[in-house]
Amino acid sequence: MMGETLNIDDLRNRIENEISVLKTLEDLKRVKATILGRKGVFAEFLDALKLLDKDQKRVFGKELNILKVSTEARFNEIEAALMEEERAKQEELTWVDITMPGKVPLLGKRHPITQTFEEIIRVFSSLGFAVAEGPDIELDYYNFEALNIPKHHPARDMQDTFYIKPGVVLRTHTSPVQIRVMEAQLPPVKIISPGSVYRCDHDVSHTPMFHQVEGLMVDKHVRFSDLKGILSVFIQEIFGANTRLRFRPSYFPFTEPSAEVDIGCVICEGAGCRVCKDTGWLEILGSGMVHPQVLRNVGYDPEEVSGFAFGMGVERIAMLKFGIDDIRQFYYNDIRFLSQF
Amino acid sequence: MRIPCEWLNEFVVLDIDPRDLAMKLTMRGFEVEAVEEYRPAFDGVCVGQIMTIDPHPNAGNLTVCQVSTGLETLPIVCGAKNVRVGDKVPVALVGARLAEGFLIEKKSIRGVESPGMLCSERELGLSDDHSGIFIIPEDVAVGSRLAEMKGLNDFVLDISVPPNRGDCLSVLGIAREVGSILNQRAKLPIFKLDTSDSESVEDQISLSIANTEACPRYVLRMIKGISIGPSPFWMRNRIQKCGMRPINAIVDVTNYVMLELGQPLHAFDYHALADKRIEVRVADSDSVFKTLDGEDRKLVAGDIMICDGSGPVAIAGIMGGENSEITDSTRDIALESAFFNPLTIRETARRLGIRSEASLRFEKGVDGDNVDFAAERAVFLMNGIAGGTVLKGKREIYERGIGKTIFVSFAKIIDILGVPIEHSGIISALRSVDLHILREEENGFVVSIPGFRHDLEEYMDIIEEVARIYGYDHVPATTPGGAQQVQKRNRKEVYLRGMKEYLASCGFYELVNFAFFNLKDIENFRIAPSDPRSSCVPIMNPIGKDYEVMRTFIAANVLKSIAYNLNRGAKNIRFFEMGKIFFLDGSSLPVEYPSVCFAMTGREREYFWRDPCPEYDFFDIKGVVEGLMDQFGVQTSVTRSSEEFLNRNRAADVLVGDVKIGWMGEIRDEVLRSYGIEQAVYCAELRTDLIAQHGSVDAKYRPIPRFPQVTRDFAFYMDEKTPVGAIIDRIKGVSPLITAVGVFDMFKKETKSIALRVVFQSFEETLTDETVNALQEIIIREATSVQGVMLRT
Ligand SMILES: [Zn+2]
Repeated sequence: MMGETLNIDDLRNRIENEISVLKTLEDLKRVKATILGRKGVFAEFLDALKLLDKDQKRVFGKELNILKVSTEARFNEIEAALMEEERAKQEELTWVDITMPGKVPLLGKRHPITQTFEEIIRVFSSLGFAVAEGPDIELDYYNFEALNIPKHHPARDMQDTFYIKPGVVLRTHTSPVQIRVMEAQLPPVKIISPGSVYRCDHDVSHTPMFHQVEGLMVDKHVRFSDLKGILSVFIQEIFGANTRLRFRPSYFPFTEPSAEVDIGCVICEGAGCRVCKDTGWLEILGSGMVHPQVLRNVGYDPEEVSGFAFGMGVERIAMLKFGIDDIRQFYYNDIRFLSQF
Repeated sequence: MRIPCEWLNEFVVLDIDPRDLAMKLTMRGFEVEAVEEYRPAFDGVCVGQIMTIDPHPNAGNLTVCQVSTGLETLPIVCGAKNVRVGDKVPVALVGARLAEGFLIEKKSIRGVESPGMLCSERELGLSDDHSGIFIIPEDVAVGSRLAEMKGLNDFVLDISVPPNRGDCLSVLGIAREVGSILNQRAKLPIFKLDTSDSESVEDQISLSIANTEACPRYVLRMIKGISIGPSPFWMRNRIQKCGMRPINAIVDVTNYVMLELGQPLHAFDYHALADKRIEVRVADSDSVFKTLDGEDRKLVAGDIMICDGSGPVAIAGIMGGENSEITDSTRDIALESAFFNPLTIRETARRLGIRSEASLRFEKGVDGDNVDFAAERAVFLMNGIAGGTVLKGKREIYERGIGKTIFVSFAKIIDILGVPIEHSGIISALRSVDLHILREEENGFVVSIPGFRHDLEEYMDIIEEVARIYGYDHVPATTPGGAQQVQKRNRKEVYLRGMKEYLASCGFYELVNFAFFNLKDIENFRIAPSDPRSSCVPIMNPIGKDYEVMRTFIAANVLKSIAYNLNRGAKNIRFFEMGKIFFLDGSSLPVEYPSVCFAMTGREREYFWRDPCPEYDFFDIKGVVEGLMDQFGVQTSVTRSSEEFLNRNRAADVLVGDVKIGWMGEIRDEVLRSYGIEQAVYCAELRTDLIAQHGSVDAKYRPIPRFPQVTRDFAFYMDEKTPVGAIIDRIKGVSPLITAVGVFDMFKKETKSIALRVVFQSFEETLTDETVNALQEIIIREATSVQGVMLRT
């Protein structure tokens, strides 16, 4: 290859020819080597360039450089196109119909009663209440007598209480746990007792077994206002910070003063509906100051200590939280129900 | 208790909207469940007066009345026979609308034009009475609109009276509370008995009480020469609004006074009383007595009886006898008003299954100071309605108790309520509900309790009254004093919660069933009589056969829930339940243990287009058990189970050491069939207390090995029934460097073949081939030393 054959146009044509037959990345690699490689065409031209005189060298050198830069750009372009082509070919083999159903992992759920229990316990734990438990089958003494429910009280009638044998009942509330705890320790006492309770009733709005959480706090100088404080925190944790609540006088044999706690109806927000019987309020729990007779029954001195107690139905709270309108649903255990929570 | 506002208004001035009053009563502890509005069902009816009554010219059974409406006199054709000249009657003029939408038009009746109609109570929607024209009370003005008559426009408050406030089962009782709310005093009805020319009760009847503890106060008053008919509209109207049914003037008056003052009364036919004497005594033996409803009632010793000269005439406070009942021909009446021992009345009423309005009030305690006033009120009303003569004086025995007083300290009130109420505020609050201060002492006061407040027994009751009147709404919400400490969950709870989370994450839905079952379940599960699970705790008064005993295991309830769901189209189910099981025990209370049961039936999913979905088998349930034990760090082993309710080939007991903590396996077909289940169910039940006892939930870090692990695979031929577990145990025992032995294949051609993968791991060094090779030799030797095991090469 001599000076007279140093023709840039020839070179350009040759490159064009080589490129035009490129089909694959391998072709590209090979052709790229023959043109831009260490022993490629450009390298040859550069060698030949050295033999030219100064002026020619400058003219040819410049043209040659322009051609080299554009050729490199061409190769990059072609490489990108070929790689894209290659990827498309590869991917074609892995194509799936993304609209086909995926494989959903199997997950069960805890019963809404359990979930509600957890929620209630969580709030009271954070307020310093420990969980205490007791037997479902209780002595009459713990279920009634010690709680200031004397023998002739209507709450003791056979139609309400399941009897195992005389003097032994299925607890009708979890309050007996309060008595057992107070008998076993001195104040201060700060407990909640979650559990199953039983009443002889089975109709649209009653089940023979249901669930309660009761709470008790006894210490020096525990006040009725403290009861309001604790229950306000609890209700706003469970039903939201904007929940309206009211305390109104009520009657329970084991508390005095007694208070029923209502929340603003969560269904109609106070406008009145079937659930709240058009009052705009829903009964949510019963509470009060522990009756001095109950304190005396466990050997506490009502002159020294005072306390409050409260109790709530877990189903009731779950029904309001989840919008369930039939208490029996909790016990049918229909998967179509259980899977909703 | 249903309280008509129109009646209440006679005791206190109701210058308040009934709905506002209802809200205030609710906040006083008298929850108003409904405020019912009463409006006349008619329109365009005025009050007329009969001027003349002439026969209808063309119809013998009709009359033509000239009726004055004040402005004009109209001839109205009438079919009823009860109208007299001078009577005031409802005149429905042309265009008037009666109850049920009936419209009055001008029409001609048998040739006589009638520009209106006289109406019965039923036509006006006032009652069911259609026996004649409604005769309007004389004090209503002629020409006035009947719709404005007293009693027709009213609000009735339906009040849920707390069980300890029997005194508020009356208009008077509610009026006292309303008076306190409205800063008024309830006024008692004012009337004057006219007995100037009459005989004296003392000459007519004698009275004795054998036991004044059973009956500390008894009053007899008398009225003679009455004629029994219906009571007037206003009285019937009030009784009806209170939810009772009008009967006749005498019965209605006794009910009316009971509703008004809270004192039940009983009227005897004076002439039916033998020897003209009444004796109150307590039965000392069993007897039978026919009450006025015709029923024979069995009485026992202790019941309080009202007797005449020949025997019982009433069960005190509960029901009168047929023998002394008021009839239409009764002319002379002896009226009883009394205070009976509340506990005795309650016992008797409960035993006889009679809960009348009267017994309800007696068993809560009536107002002993009000007994005679109520009797006077009743004879006064009877006299006004049924005529006759009220007899002078009364017969009475009154064993007056000492007035109850309670001391309360101001400091205690403030300490308990947590609100600084002024002393004067406390005293005026109490005074508003008739709790008067007898004397103030240095740090408190003594309050006297009126006879109607049987619920007030000690200082706390008075504090409640203060809070109630002060208003719970005005008590602030405070934070209890003392250190606040967040409570940690106890160990048992952590376990129970952890197990529920584990099982839910394994795809099991949680069930909650009643903790009862049926003796049939014991039979279905083929539990032997000697098995503790046959020692069920029975319920004396079960709700039904299905719930006759406390459950001794949970699996039966889980099968019922599975059957319930299979019957509703479910095919593939995973359920778990945690709860208590109960066993009879020698001690006074049965024993209770916590248990967990889980079960699976069908397959993981019905289909998945990419993969096969095999049906569950033994190893699915076993895997859940193994995972659970792993989660809680319990070392368990299995042994073949002899539970009769399991398929013996696919049944295992779960042991910790030698202690059985539960079972798992395939439920026998026969058992499943007794629950109506026709597909295989794999189930396990374990005692959660034993899991907790042997396990650990406290996670502890172990260093991660820095050296690579080595795995080697082994294949053995073995006898069909040689347990693979035995081979695995042998291999694990070879060296502490062996950290895992897994079964990665099992198949059977002529002989059963098993493939094991063993993992070697050192914490000290990289294991060399020589070390592993040496162990491999021992592994082969150990494994093949198990009977019937051969190395497959
Ligand atoms: Zn509502």
